[in-house]
Amino acid sequence: MPIIVISPLKQSFALSEYLLPAKTSDSFWPSMAAAAETSSDRTLRNAFGSVLSFFILLLIGVLAFSIRLFSVIKYESVIHEFDPYFNYRVTQFLTKNGIYDFWNWFDDRTWYPLGRVIGGTVYPGLTLTAGTLWRILNSLNIPLSVETVCVFTAPIFSAFASWATYLLTKEVKGAGAGLTAAVLLAMVPSYISRSVAGSYDNEAVAIFALIITFYLYIKTLNTGSLFYATLNAIAYFYMVCSWGGYTFIINLIPMHVLLCIVTGRYSSRLYIAYAPLVVLGTLLASLVPVVGFNAVLTSEHFASFLVFIIIHVVALVYYIKGILSAKMFKVAVTLVVSIGLLVCCAVIAVLIALVASSPTMGWSGRSLSLLDPTYASKYIPIIASVSEHQPPTWPSYFMDINVLAFLVPAGIIACFLPLSDASSFAVLYIVTSVYFSGVMVRLMLVFAPAACIMSGIALSQAFDVFTRSIKFQLPGILGKSEFDAGDTSSSGVVAENDAAKPDKSEEKLKERPSRKNKKKEKELVEKASVEKTSTKSKIEKRLLVLPLEASVIALLLLVFLGAFYVVHCVWAAAEAYSAPSIVLTSHSHDGLHVFDDFREAYAWLRHNTEVDDKVASWWDYGYQTTAMANRTVIVDNNTWNNTHIATVGTAMSSPEKAAWEIFNSLDVKYVLVVFGGLVGYPSDDINKFLWMVRIGGGVFPHIKEPDYLRDGQYRIDSQATPTMLNCLMYKLSYYRFVDVDGKGFDRVRRTEIGKKYIKLTHFEEVFTTHHWMVRIYKLKPPRNRIRGKTKKSKTKTSATSSSRKSVARKKNPWH
Amino acid sequence: MGRKGRMGISHSSSVTLGAPTYIFRIFSVFNVSTQLNSTRVAREMVKLCVLIAAVSLLPILCLSFSPENPTDRRVLVLLDDLSLKSSHSIFFNSIKSRGFDVDFKLADDPKLSLQRYGQYLYDALILFSPSTDRFGGSLDLAGVLDFVDSGHDLVLAADESASDLIRNIATECGVDFDEDSSAIVIDHKSFAVSETEGDHTLIVSDDFIQSDVILGSTKVEAPVLYKGIAHSVNAANSLVLKVLSASPSAYSANPSSKLSNPPLHSGSAISLVSVVQARNNARIMITGSLDMFSNRLLRSGVQKAGDSNKYSKSGNEQFVTELSRWVFHERGHLKAVNLRHHKVGETDEPAIYRINDDLEFSVEIYEWSGKSWEPYVANDVQVQFYMMSPYVLKTLSTDQKGLYHTSFKVPDVYGVFQFKVEYQRLGYTGLSLSKQIPVRPFRHNEYERFIPTAFPYYGASFTTMAGFFIFSIVYLYNK
Amino acid sequence: MARSTSKDAQALFHSLRSAYVATPSSLKIIDIYVGFAVFTAIIQCGVVSVERGCEKELEITVREREISKKMRKVVYMAFVGSFPFNSFLSGVLSCVGTAVLAVCLRIQVNKENKEFKDLPPERAFADFVLCNLVLHLVIMNFLG
Repeated sequence: MPIIVISPLKQSFALSEYLLPAKTSDSFWPSMAAAAETSSDRTLRNAFGSVLSFFILLLIGVLAFSIRLFSVIKYESVIHEFDPYFNYRVTQFLTKNGIYDFWNWFDDRTWYPLGRVIGGTVYPGLTLTAGTLWRILNSLNIPLSVETVCVFTAPIFSAFASWATYLLTKEVKGAGAGLTAAVLLAMVPSYISRSVAGSYDNEAVAIFALIITFYLYIKTLNTGSLFYATLNAIAYFYMVCSWGGYTFIINLIPMHVLLCIVTGRYSSRLYIAYAPLVVLGTLLASLVPVVGFNAVLTSEHFASFLVFIIIHVVALVYYIKGILSAKMFKVAVTLVVSIGLLVCCAVIAVLIALVASSPTMGWSGRSLSLLDPTYASKYIPIIASVSEHQPPTWPSYFMDINVLAFLVPAGIIACFLPLSDASSFAVLYIVTSVYFSGVMVRLMLVFAPAACIMSGIALSQAFDVFTRSIKFQLPGILGKSEFDAGDTSSSGVVAENDAAKPDKSEEKLKERPSRKNKKKEKELVEKASVEKTSTKSKIEKRLLVLPLEASVIALLLLVFLGAFYVVHCVWAAAEAYSAPSIVLTSHSHDGLHVFDDFREAYAWLRHNTEVDDKVASWWDYGYQTTAMANRTVIVDNNTWNNTHIATVGTAMSSPEKAAWEIFNSLDVKYVLVVFGGLVGYPSDDINKFLWMVRIGGGVFPHIKEPDYLRDGQYRIDSQATPTMLNCLMYKLSYYRFVDVDGKGFDRVRRTEIGKKYIKLTHFEEVFTTHHWMVRIYKLKPPRNRIRGKTKKSKTKTSATSSSRKSVARKKNPWH
Repeated sequence: MGRKGRMGISHSSSVTLGAPTYIFRIFSVFNVSTQLNSTRVAREMVKLCVLIAAVSLLPILCLSFSPENPTDRRVLVLLDDLSLKSSHSIFFNSIKSRGFDVDFKLADDPKLSLQRYGQYLYDALILFSPSTDRFGGSLDLAGVLDFVDSGHDLVLAADESASDLIRNIATECGVDFDEDSSAIVIDHKSFAVSETEGDHTLIVSDDFIQSDVILGSTKVEAPVLYKGIAHSVNAANSLVLKVLSASPSAYSANPSSKLSNPPLHSGSAISLVSVVQARNNARIMITGSLDMFSNRLLRSGVQKAGDSNKYSKSGNEQFVTELSRWVFHERGHLKAVNLRHHKVGETDEPAIYRINDDLEFSVEIYEWSGKSWEPYVANDVQVQFYMMSPYVLKTLSTDQKGLYHTSFKVPDVYGVFQFKVEYQRLGYTGLSLSKQIPVRPFRHNEYERFIPTAFPYYGASFTTMAGFFIFSIVYLYNK
Repeated sequence: MARSTSKDAQALFHSLRSAYVATPSSLKIIDIYVGFAVFTAIIQCGVVSVERGCEKELEITVREREISKKMRKVVYMAFVGSFPFNSFLSGVLSCVGTAVLAVCLRIQVNKENKEFKDLPPERAFADFVLCNLVLHLVIMNFLG
């Protein structure tokens, strides 16, 4: 342990290169390094090493926090996006009413008229965290608003996450790799995209929980301490509280355990790391209301139970093997195997029966779409309609993890060089997460930490090799190097120490599985380790044959790579990912334009409608409407009821009268549509409209997608189908649009609209925001009178008709 | 359930178009926005004015027509010519005697106006001006309809000379006069026997609607004399009622010309008098005969052709008086108040119910008698506990004093429910009350506890706990 | 063949026993404890199956008495239905958890196990106690 800690010395130089562009205090490093160099005492150096790494970690934390503040600086301290608004609302409720009311909260303002049991359907980790944070701050007499706390929760937890990454990578490959990985994670764009200030979402804390759970698992695996096992279970509990992605953990860890068993790396530490986690973890997970009995009933969790049984069998076998002689053991094996096979068959049969009997084969739709990428698009349009459930494209990999993509393979190789339990876990982690991220963009987030860990390992190993070779190329200075040579020498020494250490620990690791007679082995080990170190040093020498120039150039290249990464990350944080999406900006030559239409519309709703009025919109805007306008919505972003969403989708794609009837049956008073045609905002309702048709048509078959497509093409110009031109969404979006420029030119679709003069009979426009991005319509009340059949005679005087029209607009224009 | 809101993840920054073309866009956007702004300001101003007017006239409004006193007070009668005032005086006097302020005006009076400063000056309108093509002043078709749509009542009588305006008003209310402007109702069987053998256009009818609410509790014995044009109503139109229908032998045609085609309207499909109760409970009466209200027909005796029964006085007076009572809300106007609900054993109204709660529901219903609110007694008032469809439907029991009540169990479904009382009866104003109430599931500590079947498991848990302690002690002392 | 296997088995048991006798008494105590926990767990699973069996019998009697059928059905549902599931789960898992933790402790304090040489048994026991406390806290929470 103490020896590993020194390596930050070496790493610090690499780090300082990274940190430079990120505006952390670069002057700090040389002084500390110099201080470290002057001390020849080893323990003192260790102390300095740990102090140094502590400060580095502190700075990493500051970096992770501050790089996420671009959104606050460039925009303002607001909650972003859609889901965070719900979380914010829940947090407000929590801070106002306390935990028990939150637990039992039945929300009657969403999913009208069904309502939603918030306490039982929400992952409470995030809100509880922020609520606790707020309470602590308030009790310290720091009167921050709930919103402020929510805005800054994600940056704070990303700092924690980078520390957790340090710990995890340290367990895998030593502190140097740990620090590198932590720095990488602090800035990885993929993670920034979900954790900028204001992005108050489950992922913000879940990634921290994920990494800390993995760390504690590895820690338990390395130490075999029940204490860490307990902590691990608690960390797992926190993860379950925070995010549905916990199933990744409960499947990855059994996979790793299985891998260890299969490759003959079983140890009793593995048992201690795994068995208590399953029992305690399952119990704790069932305590979370949203998971409940699912923790034992759905087949996502069955893998862990299966492995739980297997590990018991294996443990028993190893135990018996330990106390029996070889011959006797053989006998026992023949006996047990024959019986065991039968039992196994029975167990597997029971399991299969259980899996088959549970609905959808026990797998929830989202998990199924992970295993079979085409599942969602085939069966569940509502899952497929979400852009973050789509498979990512290659550019998005480059965008989100940048140079890490190239470093990952190197990291995997580095993990294999001395394969330990921990590094095999890291390899498994990256392999599975690469697969999952390939299925769903959203899971890029799980992949990013793995990529950071791998790249951290790769970078630190590369630095290791290069600095070492440089040091050996300069043998003349070697003697004095520790005192005066500067960076290269000290790092070289460190590298040497570092290189020696993993080997020893490696030996230890390898000997563990086989423990027949201790003494013999002990001797053997010592011998082996001596031998190995000698061979290793030979290998090292061979490695060090790298020419000086090559290693210097390679070092420079690596530094350049790092610098490129940093520049990219800062750009991503500042430009790409910090837009709150509730406020939009556009740059033009005459300056910055701000589109604050959403808040304008929600404020209008809040101030101009009755408290109990129901607002219908496509589900994307449900959370924002409840949180910002405080009005009841029909559907929202929690898409638990497909039928209800389909009802709204059907209404939007029906002609006016039918739509009016649907909305009226749901007591809807206002309909809100988002329209980007005037300013060129592309994620508006017209662009999402086909999903409404699909989802609506999935439940109500009279809505057929081909009716809205002309020759398979989705168009809104004069070529559009009559169904399209007469559907409610089209009418509400383009009502009066032609008045703007006389042509009705839609800037998103880049075409003139097909039906320019739209008359609304059952709806009336009540509000349209500044840039027309949000339009709110009111349902007209049912006709007061029913007209007769006779056609209106044409003999009316013009004066009458014109004046009538003007009055009619206000009152009751049903004629 | 995680994040699904990021529909446009790749779009999140896409408004930042950055392309040079956008400069132009921004300009146009801003032009638009300034226009929008100015119109909006204007609109706001108008709104403000209306608001001020409304506030200042609020007291008047309260006095003139309020739910507490639904009977009309001020009636405007529009006439073609003022001689009608005397020729129909019996009808007008009966209205006056019931306490109405009746104001007579010529239909083309240039100062004619139904409202002043946004407030209606009258509560009811009687249009005895069939031949008017245009009203004077600011009144027009839409004005009349708005008058009705704001809850005021209308009596419309036409005759052979009915103008397009009058026909249009009728059409808007769901009544179609015979389009042939020269056609009148002819009945060669049930015509009124008179001295001169006429063309059978003065017909008699006793095919009344069966409703005590509309026509009063005393039966109209004598048939009604009718001379005028026919109209028909759409059977699908639920708001219109035929109060007086023609006999099966009636038809609508021009009496002076020979019948070449089969008449458009014939038989009992011809409605002579119809009433409309609009959704806002405004009441409208439409008839094709202005003469029906005249003193002459009110006074005259009646004998139906082929019927030896001769009545000394026609049913017209009773008929039009009772009908006008109904139209002017002197009868059949209900109100429901004090919709209350609470858990059994409590008195306060809760903000939320739990599933399977027992609750009591009550509502008070009164009928306006013309002077005061009297308890309304019926045994068919129902309450629904409604969420998309009624989960509970119960008939309310009454205490004969206007209070209706019942009790039921909240269904085992949570959601936002409504108490709904929908009471639509012939002739009565519709009652449509709803009160929203959420129903929540059990709280986490409201589930049943300590179930006997679970005792073995409790036992096991506690045994292991005890076992743990014993083990700890034994283990520690063993060393 | 059969004889040889039985002989082998006998020899196996012999050597097993002799090997086991050599284990220190503290480990034996743990073994007893583990045995107790596993036994309790098995009993509970037994209870479930017995109850189900009872209910089947009940159903047969039910068929004879048509009137009480529905009531019995309700009773049956109460037995097999989800309500006592959390109690059942906590009951069984408490036993399993106890057993697992005890096994962990046994592994750690086993002096023959070289992996944990540097882990003093006191520390191991303290960890064990902590773990158990967490476990039972959760069980208590979950039981009701």
